[in-house]
Amino acid sequence: MKKIFLSLLTLLTLQTAFGQSADEIVNKHIEAIGGADNWKKMNSLVMEATMKAQGAEIKLTRTHIHNKAMRMDIAVMGMNGYQILTDKAGWSYMPFQGQTKAEPMTADDIKTSQDQLSILDEFITYKDLGKKLDFIGKEDLEGTECFKLKLTDKDGQEVTFWIDPASYFTLKQSQKIKANGKEMESVTTFSNYKKTEEGIVYPFTVSADWGESEITKLTFNSKIDESLFKPSN
Amino acid sequence: MKRNLSILLIMLTTSLFAQTQVNSGMFGMLEARQMGPGTMSGRITSIVGVMSDPKIIYVGTAGGGVWKSSNAGTSYKSIFDKYCQSIGAIGISPQKPATVYVGTGESNMRNSVSIGNGMYKTTDGGDNWKAIGLDSTEHIAKIIVHPSNDQIVYVAVPGPLWSDSKHRGLYKTSNGGETWEKILYHDEKTGCAELLMDPKNPNILFASMWQFRRQPFSFNSGGEGSGMYKSTDGGLTWKEISNGLPPKPFGRIAMALAPSDSRKMWAIVESKNTGLYISDDGGESWKNQSATMNVCARPFYFSTFEVDPKDPKRVYRPGYEFAYSDDGGYSFSGASSDGGWVHSDMHALWIHPDNTNILYLGTDGGIYKSIDKGISWSFTHSLPVGQFYHVSHDLQKPYNVYGGLQDNGSWKAPSAAPGGINNAHWQRVGGGDGFWTVPDIDGKTVYVEYQGGNMSRVNMTNMKSEEIQPKQTNKEEKLRWNWNTPIVTGAANPKNLYTGSQYLYKSTNQGRDWTRISGDLTTNNKAKQQQDESGGLSADNTSAENHCTIFTIAESPLDANTIWVGTDDGNLQVTTDAGQSWKNISTNYAVSGIPAGTWISSIEPSHFDKNTLYVTFENHMYGDHTTYLGKSTDMGKTWTRIQHTEFTGFAHKICEDPINKNLLFLGTEMGLFATLDGGTHWFRMKNNIPEYALVRDIKIHPTTHDLIVGTHGRGIFIVDDISAMRNLTAEIWNQEVYLFPTPQITLNNGLYGWGGPEVSGGWYAGNPSSVPSIDYYLKDRVNTGKVSIDIYDANQVLIQSIPGSKRKGINKVYWNLRSNPPKVAGGSTKIDGAGFTAPMVLPGSYTVKLRVKDQEYVSTIQCVHDDANNDLSLADRKLVYNKAMQLQGLYNHLNVDIDTIQYYKTKLKADSNNKANKAMLADLEKIRAELMATKQTSLFADEEKLREKVSQLYGSFCNMEAKPNEIQLKAIEALDEQYKQLNLKLNQTLNKHLPKINL
Repeated sequence: MKKIFLSLLTLLTLQTAFGQSADEIVNKHIEAIGGADNWKKMNSLVMEATMKAQGAEIKLTRTHIHNKAMRMDIAVMGMNGYQILTDKAGWSYMPFQGQTKAEPMTADDIKTSQDQLSILDEFITYKDLGKKLDFIGKEDLEGTECFKLKLTDKDGQEVTFWIDPASYFTLKQSQKIKANGKEMESVTTFSNYKKTEEGIVYPFTVSADWGESEITKLTFNSKIDESLFKPSN
Repeated sequence: MKRNLSILLIMLTTSLFAQTQVNSGMFGMLEARQMGPGTMSGRITSIVGVMSDPKIIYVGTAGGGVWKSSNAGTSYKSIFDKYCQSIGAIGISPQKPATVYVGTGESNMRNSVSIGNGMYKTTDGGDNWKAIGLDSTEHIAKIIVHPSNDQIVYVAVPGPLWSDSKHRGLYKTSNGGETWEKILYHDEKTGCAELLMDPKNPNILFASMWQFRRQPFSFNSGGEGSGMYKSTDGGLTWKEISNGLPPKPFGRIAMALAPSDSRKMWAIVESKNTGLYISDDGGESWKNQSATMNVCARPFYFSTFEVDPKDPKRVYRPGYEFAYSDDGGYSFSGASSDGGWVHSDMHALWIHPDNTNILYLGTDGGIYKSIDKGISWSFTHSLPVGQFYHVSHDLQKPYNVYGGLQDNGSWKAPSAAPGGINNAHWQRVGGGDGFWTVPDIDGKTVYVEYQGGNMSRVNMTNMKSEEIQPKQTNKEEKLRWNWNTPIVTGAANPKNLYTGSQYLYKSTNQGRDWTRISGDLTTNNKAKQQQDESGGLSADNTSAENHCTIFTIAESPLDANTIWVGTDDGNLQVTTDAGQSWKNISTNYAVSGIPAGTWISSIEPSHFDKNTLYVTFENHMYGDHTTYLGKSTDMGKTWTRIQHTEFTGFAHKICEDPINKNLLFLGTEMGLFATLDGGTHWFRMKNNIPEYALVRDIKIHPTTHDLIVGTHGRGIFIVDDISAMRNLTAEIWNQEVYLFPTPQITLNNGLYGWGGPEVSGGWYAGNPSSVPSIDYYLKDRVNTGKVSIDIYDANQVLIQSIPGSKRKGINKVYWNLRSNPPKVAGGSTKIDGAGFTAPMVLPGSYTVKLRVKDQEYVSTIQCVHDDANNDLSLADRKLVYNKAMQLQGLYNHLNVDIDTIQYYKTKLKADSNNKANKAMLADLEKIRAELMATKQTSLFADEEKLREKVSQLYGSFCNMEAKPNEIQLKAIEALDEQYKQLNLKLNQTLNKHLPKINL
């Protein structure tokens, strides 16, 4: 009798689970991805990934010192390009687009990209960064009813997150970037979550308009040569 | 007790599962293509810009939701796809411009106007919306947000068009929509149609009240309830204004005040002598100004009057035509025709607050922008908000879609074309208000019509048309043609052509001759045939109120002698002897709970059983918005009413899949719904289709299996190939993973070539995929672990691995019918195309392995030669393939050599001061510079060396769909020879230097 009652209760609880607050969702999310303590131990990251397009492979390498600098190297068809972002500057060298030397990012682009310098999950840092958290409600994401949360920074830059109510993983993120007088939207979806040796749970597959990339190697806290964060040409 | 609880638990669980088994999310990957077009657009009801950032503009439409431009109209984005699509008004908070209020339910009260379901609010510029009440108001005319408090909002509500209602009047909220107070109300027949606020004193408000009513057969604008009111205390108290106005009764009153001098006001007052009135004292007294045709025309429909924000003399009357005045409305001039015709029938005008030369105009045919104060206009081609009534298709390859639109004629466009469908592919085939547009089976004839049954047969080879509407003969009553008269071809015998007034007509020679095959099939109620009296204070009788007419005709697909007819006054009639005798079965459906006297909006005789039919019934013109769908399995003797909690909106169309009898689609005023189990469980279709789209017509193409949806406000949607919906059975959806069999694939590069770049500035609908998809079903989204599709050849060699989507429900992955492309050596100075391509596989059997986490699911794809391509025999195909592979081999060898050089270069550079190293480096670089382009310094300075030549020829062979010519074949040999020489040179160089080098 008690068991049945409890089962009923569970059912009802499931029904009302969506009533929980933004803070509760965020806490469960942080717990699901390994906990803030584990994340906060990370100060650098080197990620190797592969993107496949019609059988062709593009190699991506992200080298990143937390809150200081990041570099993304892209190897396509025997050519190598990169993007560099630091807390003060940024460059882009995309020879596949015809560039012959690194071109500087605009001040607006540097400013609006600063969030990317953090290697931590946004929900671990948002309070410290003074961002506003809004719980928009439930929303269907490709058949999965997700929690929809939005973070807005002091400059009005917005990132919206769709969080799976079963796993509390972020399934999708949409960032509105207002820079250089225009507004752009960048949408990314995440899957293939895996727990690393460091105890953090990371999405090893990331998809965007341009394709899907899969992480082949992820290293935290290795020593990084800071000369990488200056353009080499 | 214990047992009862267990049963309760099981029931609860079962019902939860039952509801979650099949839902729209399962079919999200069957994304509809929004065909648009933007060539002709649809009715625009509201245009409002952000005063502090005027490049941000919100546009409300009659049936296409809300669109936002962040670049002064260069492009627009739909931001209201999850909500009611009929928009009455938009109000932006001047204080916090990201706070926007939208009132649903258009207030241009024509016969075909849609309804809304209340107020919505966003606080983030349209990303997220919340319903905030007034959900029974049906129509909203105006919203004004207090200039310094975004929580105070006034909403003018005309209210329901077809019934009495208390939900009318002027509403106010002081808490951002949490609660509403009715601050001006007259009676259940009179609503609030206009609202103004003095920009200098937000406590001063003006409102006009309007008494109006439609019935299915008449319209009345005007009555004692209509009047003009003023408040000076933020709406707490009101006084009626009459000084200088004409004698009552009034109809609809449009009003405006000059933002630069709010004492100056204008009002178009509908009365027995409709005219323009002006006031110089803040509305206290009025005098008659002028009464041009354009000022007075159709006041119930044209209720817009605007004043330049800076110049009180410059006023605008967007109405039947566009007119402007430089003398405060004493005299008017019309817009120039330079730049082309501006669509008539205007309902919205927004003037840039700083640069008042810039105007945005909303018409029945879309948006126009002017940069010279409305003298000339340019059309916005990118708003796909056309209001279709019906759609049809032919059987050509690719097939064409046809349809007629509100105030925008009839059109035709291919479903696919080289480069994808854009505005330029649309061809006008008829004028007026377009309705049924139906191709004949002969492939060159189309039947078109405009309002009131004016129908023609169009010869598509020269676009000449012949009028074919049957005429009244001596012994007949005056013919009554519905505004939206049916003209349809037979489902069993497509050479049969039918149309109907109150009588049904049949032609077997394309409308050259007609035979009347029925008596009056309507109720012939004379009380509903007084259309000459329609309009109220202003006569308005445009065939829109014609009644007691035939509205629906359907020949059974199983028997050409069985014809079903539905009328606008509730009669459902059937003949089984091609019209010799008729049976009225309207009393039968009423037994199932469907009201008598409804419009019979669609009839779908079953493709599987002659006795079975589905019918939609539509009663909104009597104030009833219920979704009525009935099914009979005994020729209409008895009926089952099909209901579902998901349904919203009155029903326009029921469509049965011709292959799977359990798959049905229902289109209503607020959504497209589908069932996979014959009508027990339904779900809303959301796959790139607005969730509350006004769905007027649905067709399923018999050969491509495409779902074609005609909407009244968002153009046409095509869901390419719905086979996955047909094939998804309960047996499958209960499995964790299911890999569907992939149909046989014909090997070609698709139906079309490139077709040029996407055209700028218009609406682009793309093409269906050129290759069939590999479909699989996932019971749940895969968040941990990988999903991939691996393709193996007959020797079980892995030829390509494709990342798989991971969504719940049907997933689609497209294999490009090729193996992996070759690897490209490093050190390139430009992109090498060969690294992206491989030859198309040869005919044969290929294995598909779907991997989900650690499980594997296997199926087979048969790829066959394209016999339809006369340029490429099977032998040619093999030759092309072998030559492409030979080139790929050559390319690979070449890259090995380049990599070898790179390898030694890296080693040698470690000690580059060494003389021997230097010498070897120099020699290697010379060879490398012959093997590949190394010197290119700019995108615009091409350099071509051996690798570039091999890559180019390899690319040609990979995409070849014709027999190669001799020169192409010889070119391979020449490149091969060049490579051999360079390879020899490399080996000689290595042999020469390596003994001297210490690596």
